[in-house]
Amino acid sequence: MIRHLLALASAAALLAAAGCSKPAAAPAAPAHPNLSGSWVRPLGDRDVGGLPPVKEIPLTPWAAAKFKAERPAQGDNQDFANTTDPSLKYADPNGYPRISLHPMRFKLIQTDDYLYQLWEYNDNWRQIALNVPQDPDPALTWYGNAVGRWDGDTLVVDSVGYKDSTWLDARGLPHTTDLHLTERIHKVGANLVFDITFDDKGAFTRPWDAHLIYKPSPDGSMTENIYTISDELRFRERFLNQKVNIPIRR
Amino acid sequence: MRANNLGDSWDARCGIWALGFALLVSSSALAHHGAASIYDMSKETTIKATVTEYVWTNPHVELGVSSSGGTTTELLLELGSPPNIRNRGWTSRTVKAGDVVTVTFHPGLRGAKIGVVIKMVTADGKELHA
Repeated sequence: MIRHLLALASAAALLAAAGCSKPAAAPAAPAHPNLSGSWVRPLGDRDVGGLPPVKEIPLTPWAAAKFKAERPAQGDNQDFANTTDPSLKYADPNGYPRISLHPMRFKLIQTDDYLYQLWEYNDNWRQIALNVPQDPDPALTWYGNAVGRWDGDTLVVDSVGYKDSTWLDARGLPHTTDLHLTERIHKVGANLVFDITFDDKGAFTRPWDAHLIYKPSPDGSMTENIYTISDELRFRERFLNQKVNIPIRR
Repeated sequence: MRANNLGDSWDARCGIWALGFALLVSSSALAHHGAASIYDMSKETTIKATVTEYVWTNPHVELGVSSSGGTTTELLLELGSPPNIRNRGWTSRTVKAGDVVTVTFHPGLRGAKIGVVIKMVTADGKELHA
């Protein structure tokens, strides 16, 4: 009998030592939201935000003159046949944030060290390095040098180092190599919101903001949408009867 | 600051809004260029025609048709980019040469034998907007 009592006492002690005497603690909640997923500005959806009207953007005289001289392929002053849009004329990458303004998908893939943004448009992508300082002298690139840190549930992304040959949008909104974007990326309900502050002393007399909303895309597959000079020339030859002076690969 | 909620492909096209929702739907698929300098956006034409080609390509999917109402007319019509029209139910196999379709489009300016598709009804009655 005593041996049985001792055995029971020993078993109870072992269970207690193993933490079995009380319910296990709930798993710790993730430190930050996981932004991974497929997101889209649905075609025809009017509730997706956007860049403000140009008249509300505080352009410097240089930027105003440059904007006026451009010939966009869209809008009130559209001139598709003779456009100066670098993404149509040279098939240059859109740059940022123009590439995020198409009614197309992008994927976010979040790891411990990076957030990768993969756009359906032109199969382009950028990386946002997490929890590292900004490079004080980054190389100039199409999509800039982006670093991010968490502020509660918001990912704050700081980016610089943008080539100045891109347009900020299809209207021809210009910027310089001093463009500095601060993005606050956060979820609002099921949606993903990018609040972007544009700071560029060469192009804007003061910082200004844009509010972009993306909806979850239930269909995560991406359609190839690579834009090339061959495709552009083919289109112009067929639809505009423009003479093409190089062989077109079809 | 008031945001323009039409985005990159739409933000400078305010004039088109006045033409109504149907027109918005047709023009909205054109992320690559504006439509007003190429097509007569105030006109809509509907024809029954035979597909001569259907090319799933960038920047815009191409639909060649041949109508035979009196005299045969060959037309080259454009749709949106593959990702955009895919979201509206189109695939690379929606139609093929030889299929008979009823297609509604904005015709080219100055009599050009081109157009931008608004909608298409396939032989089995499926209606697709571009």
